Amino acid sequence: MDFSTSMAVVASGMKAQSARMKTIAENIANANSTATTPGGDPYRRKIATVASSFDRELGANLVTAGKSIADKSEFRTQYDPGNPNADAKGYVKLPNVDSLVEIMDMREAQRSYEADLTAMDATKSMLARTVDLLNK
Amino acid sequence: MSMPDVPLLSLLRERMTWLHQRQDVLSQNVANADTPGYVARDLKAQDFSDILSGETTRGNALRATDPRHIAISTSGHTQFEEETTPGQANPNGNAVSLEQEMIKVSETQAQFQAAANLYAKALTMMKTAIGH
Repeated sequence: MDFSTSMAVVASGMKAQSARMKTIAENIANANSTATTPGGDPYRRKIATVASSFDRELGANLVTAGKSIADKSEFRTQYDPGNPNADAKGYVKLPNVDSLVEIMDMREAQRSYEADLTAMDATKSMLARTVDLLNK
Repeated sequence: MSMPDVPLLSLLRERMTWLHQRQDVLSQNVANADTPGYVARDLKAQDFSDILSGETTRGNALRATDPRHIAISTSGHTQFEEETTPGQANPNGNAVSLEQEMIKVSETQAQFQAAANLYAKALTMMKTAIGH
């Protein structure tokens, strides 16, 4: 009996979800990061991706965090002539981060992580039950 | 007579192997719950008549059709058949329902516990029989 495969798969899922969480945290933290030069581009939102890869040794589909993609959508603008980063017309470009979307993404990652944890707990209890047979 | 030759014990061992393999497959589904294009999989249910006739115990083992054939033991390498369980797919092509997978995981866990308990009981009965 070998439960290490399912443990390894679930662990890879948890790792991918925490990598996703990192990208989301970056977005939320930089929600108001403007450019360092007047008229320049502010922080651009990143989209986390996950990919599945077949592991020959385990014979199972592991999950890996893919490269994060830059969000190509428009930046928000705000009229603020007093800001040192404002362009000639007095507008400041703000990052294209919508905190509501980020919170939703975070919830989703959290739920998936919890599901991974539950599956791991179930596997662990099955393993413990098998080891328990030695006591009989 | 070695332990695996006791029919009851070997049946339970088979059942536990099946449940363990199912747990592996379900773990992959749960882990890939956000992977684009991933479709959930499951093990084919065990057929009771196959179990009774001992068909699954042999599994993919080579059959000795000639007495001169060398017997190859494949115990522990039995692979049960897998099947995809298509469901409602997301826009990104992922068709894993986390709720359904969680139900299956707890189902597998409970069934494994039942099989393990039965195994322990069978061992106890044997100990009683030998007056231990």
